[in-house]
Amino acid sequence: MLADTLIDGYAIPEGCYDELLAPGGEPRAHVAAMVQTLRRMGPQALLEAGRRRDTIFMQQGITFEVAGSDGARRDRPFPLDLVPRVLTAGEWTVIKRGLAQRIRALNAFVDDVYHAREIVRAGVVPWSLIVSRPSFARPVHGIRAPGGVYTHVSGCDLVRGGDGGWRVLEDNVRTPSGISYVLENRLAMTRLMPELFAGQRVRPVENYPSLLLEALQAVAPAPESEPTVVLWTPGPLNSAYFEHAFLAREMGIELVEASDLVVRDATCYMRTTAGLERVHTIYRRLDDDFIDPLAFRADSMLGVPGLVRAYRAGSVAIANAIGTGVADDKAIYHYVPEMIRFYLTEEPILENVPTYLLSDPKLRAWVLGRLHELVIKPTSESGGKGVFIGPQASAAELEREATLIEAEPELFIAQELVHLSTAPTETGDGRLAPRHVDLRPFALFGEEIRIVPGGLTRVALEQGSMIVNSSQGGGSKDTWVLADGDTHAEPGLPPGLAAREPPRLPDVRFGGWHGQAQQQQQGRRGAVATAADPLGQRPA
Amino acid sequence: MLARIAQELYWLGRDVTRAEHTARMLDGAFHADVAGGVEAGGADGSALARAGIALSWAGVLAVIGAKPPAPGEAGALPVAGTAPPSVAGPLGRAEIAPLLTLDTESPASVVSCVHRARERARTLRDVVSAEMWEALNSFYLSLARYDLEAALATGPYSVYQEVKERCALFWGLLEKTMLRDEARSFLDAGGRIEEADMVLRMLRVAIPAAAAEGQGEGEGEGEGESEGEAAREAEALALLQAVGGFQAFRRHLRRAPALSSVGRFLLYEAQYPGSVRASLEALRDALETADRAPRSAPPVLRLGRLIAELELQQRMAAVSEPLAASLARAADELELIDREIDERYFAVAAVAALHFER
Amino acid sequence: MQFAIRYLSRYRYEADVADNINALRVRPASTSCQRLDDFTLRLTPDARQHRHEDYFGTDVVEFEVTRPHRELIIDALAHVTTEPAPAPSGSGWAQIAEDGYREAGTEFLMQTDDAPGHTLLAELRSAIDDAASPLDAVLLVAELIPGRLDYRKGATYVDSPLAHVLDIGAGVCQDFVHLGLNLLRARGIAARYVSGYLYTHSHNGDAAAGAHAAGQPSVEVDTHAWIEALIPQADERPRWVGVDPTNRGLAGERHVKIGHGRHYADVPPIRGIYRGPARSTLEASVTMTAL
Repeated sequence: MLADTLIDGYAIPEGCYDELLAPGGEPRAHVAAMVQTLRRMGPQALLEAGRRRDTIFMQQGITFEVAGSDGARRDRPFPLDLVPRVLTAGEWTVIKRGLAQRIRALNAFVDDVYHAREIVRAGVVPWSLIVSRPSFARPVHGIRAPGGVYTHVSGCDLVRGGDGGWRVLEDNVRTPSGISYVLENRLAMTRLMPELFAGQRVRPVENYPSLLLEALQAVAPAPESEPTVVLWTPGPLNSAYFEHAFLAREMGIELVEASDLVVRDATCYMRTTAGLERVHTIYRRLDDDFIDPLAFRADSMLGVPGLVRAYRAGSVAIANAIGTGVADDKAIYHYVPEMIRFYLTEEPILENVPTYLLSDPKLRAWVLGRLHELVIKPTSESGGKGVFIGPQASAAELEREATLIEAEPELFIAQELVHLSTAPTETGDGRLAPRHVDLRPFALFGEEIRIVPGGLTRVALEQGSMIVNSSQGGGSKDTWVLADGDTHAEPGLPPGLAAREPPRLPDVRFGGWHGQAQQQQQGRRGAVATAADPLGQRPA
Repeated sequence: MLARIAQELYWLGRDVTRAEHTARMLDGAFHADVAGGVEAGGADGSALARAGIALSWAGVLAVIGAKPPAPGEAGALPVAGTAPPSVAGPLGRAEIAPLLTLDTESPASVVSCVHRARERARTLRDVVSAEMWEALNSFYLSLARYDLEAALATGPYSVYQEVKERCALFWGLLEKTMLRDEARSFLDAGGRIEEADMVLRMLRVAIPAAAAEGQGEGEGEGEGESEGEAAREAEALALLQAVGGFQAFRRHLRRAPALSSVGRFLLYEAQYPGSVRASLEALRDALETADRAPRSAPPVLRLGRLIAELELQQRMAAVSEPLAASLARAADELELIDREIDERYFAVAAVAALHFER
Repeated sequence: MQFAIRYLSRYRYEADVADNINALRVRPASTSCQRLDDFTLRLTPDARQHRHEDYFGTDVVEFEVTRPHRELIIDALAHVTTEPAPAPSGSGWAQIAEDGYREAGTEFLMQTDDAPGHTLLAELRSAIDDAASPLDAVLLVAELIPGRLDYRKGATYVDSPLAHVLDIGAGVCQDFVHLGLNLLRARGIAARYVSGYLYTHSHNGDAAAGAHAAGQPSVEVDTHAWIEALIPQADERPRWVGVDPTNRGLAGERHVKIGHGRHYADVPPIRGIYRGPARSTLEASVTMTAL
């Protein structure tokens, strides 16, 4: 039992699954070792590490802007909670399989929507719903992405209900961000809290950039040569610029802006000091609207005119493909389990959160009657914008939301409120308390689907809050996936590499002057190390 | 590499070096000022005219003010709200030192150069090393700390010293931490061409044609009579101060500095890394590394010719043309080289406005 | 009828421009009552032409002139044979509520631009409510719009919103069409924007007829726009029927279609972008000759 200061007053909210304590009150087996270590370190050590973290993050510029109470915006260190979130190998296997399945289905859906529309003809997803999505990209109708891959990078948001089961809250197959925090968090944790890792087999995440590069190269239309991959950023003013630069650096590829790219005939090039150089894959981190002013928004000066033509000609791969937004729309989300059955003839491994489309009048009336229990989301927003949480709304707010829904029901969906699971979190006094968390794992689709173990765990730092967005008081956690089995050999030196002392400044050859030994006639006592041979001969 | 990035690197190098040399020049002007060489009789300029030397505050402004603006710079004129020196009366220390040191409004000031360099480095954080970015960032932050009035009143030495040290730190970190790749070559090239340019400009202002004619090679031996010699030596010292080669000069020549020998040293001496010739050689090396076909690259070819010419002039010093003429020609050539660099490596990055047709 | 259509646009720029990239939608379509016999496109300076069919089936030619130039000439020549569309039979309102109809209409039932609460719009909408059938509603729209709006060039721009057109009570064929689309869609009738050519002086009566009668078969026209509405038929599947709110009536054999979309932005004759000085002048002409 944990009758100590570390988790005094650890109160799990009603109806929530807690990832530290089992219902009996004892720590779950897979986190027991970590709790032991934390207890041994004590609250002071945790607070001390917190201060080091803030200093380091400020120095390295791992910050985000927040508006203070006086309205002024200032940089704050990104709030990394020092208690990792731990997932077992078994849990991870379910998540991994479930996500891979879901992403295959979403990819198939994107291909289908812009080509044969079989899922529409089969009556599974209504065509009118698809064409009414703002993210439905008519300019790429009929274009097959190189390699048939559309959703190269995806980050689905998972939550854990009161029963401990994993559910998908949202899909994100446009330009999901956050992976840089996963990598930075791990690096910071190994420096700040090395004790925690002792004796644990945490699966590494550091190879994400290599996997990403492989996936991007795999879809490049460059059979004859080494493909050129670039990362396209909207520029330094973008809120995720840090991540763009980070990934470009880690992959060793060029970080380009629109003005660096140019299309000639039907081929995309970048402008270099040695003239134009062909580009094969563009990992773009901006929305469809800003890709090509000839095909999308004509007022966009950020784009590369003619890029869609090059894409149509198959001479360049764009990741994620243009038009993938139709698959992660919140109204389309409702149909994903059906997509899995339709395209893969499999049963979904990960469930959806129950979701209701509001265009049907009967369902709408039922939803409006339960508005105080449900969550309402606008279908075409992301990042928690415009989310309405019924149980937290006043009577006036409920009424206003109902009016909005009645006016344009197709712009909203209703969802059952999920009681997010809680995980132990350091709360500023060195002790742990349960806080709500979600999980965004990142999946890569090149020749096959690969998912780095773990992902970004976001945590609502306010007690009772379920808003995990960093712009609204959320933080993040290093997310551990434990490797299977316990046998764990400490990596030793490879054979043949004996410990050797580094060379030192040798003394003057033959050394200083010595008095000649008196030749006492008693015989020698053993070998003598000379100054010119600092390693010496080991005495026998 | 991306033409846009290469151009940013090139100008990052130029900005850092421009900051350093502006600081050196101001330091030199202060030195001369305090030593009594500059503004003694400066109101009508007669004392200067007699000495034939123009290391005046206005001269400093002329050097900086005539610089072509860097991308991102507000305009060519350094003086915000002030007329160019030729129009206004002679400007002095009270106006020019603040303007060119810590004035954030004036694009030519040291602070502005550092600010631009830091903004460029921010977008180049993946290209330069993290240490280099951090060095520039803290450089800028530390300059912002200074109280302008106080610093200049109590003697600006510490400010200029810090600028010089921080710039040296930046280039030192480049040596130690940056990959020897194309990016580094462009950064180097920018620093080198700026250095050559600054020294040339400084020399042209400090050694006008008349002075160079009057003081031939024989000076310093037989004309120990006038009080002007002390003043001239002070001027030569200030010039060395302004370019930063006093110690090197003494070790190399082992005699009291005189204007023309200092000028020749700073123009021709391949052994001294701050000389025009050494900078040009380093510039050529950088471009040869960056260019895929340096043998057919116009800026490399032109550089080769200019360097050979300087070498020749150095050897034939006695019978050659006046120093001022050499300086003028070198300056013209350097301008062409800069234009050719722009044309060959960056032109493709130039982005004009986009327009729509309906 | 048989027509030769010449679309000619000449852009002149104040100074050299470069990277002039354009997408053209000027090629007449082939439909059940229209046949494209021949089409040639000449560009000056010459440029490679990239053709594709867009989402709505319109033929698009993309090209780029990368070298500096001061003038761009787009010269397209088409030969087209048209015949009158069979008369629509039309049927009652009940059918437009059926799933089959709504499925066929889908995105052409969704509004692209609206002016909620505008009195003129409300008035026009209520006038259509009384129509006996969808076909009547379509014909009524073609009468009402030119009755309430003035045809006036220069009063609106290519991207003028509907609210602006209603405010000033004037516009060109494009604005008339956008208003018509709004009215029909509000009534549950699928309607789409058609871009094309019309053999007449669309805004001053029967000049073309006069010219034709006078033995001058060539007329100078502009590119034109009208509506196609999905009309339920008595004994067959719903049919797209062309109606021209600028000329008060059904589209006929003088209408030559290029393509259609939800609104203008889906079928602009030219959409382009270039690098260089801001100002350019445009001389554009369309000449139609009845053969």
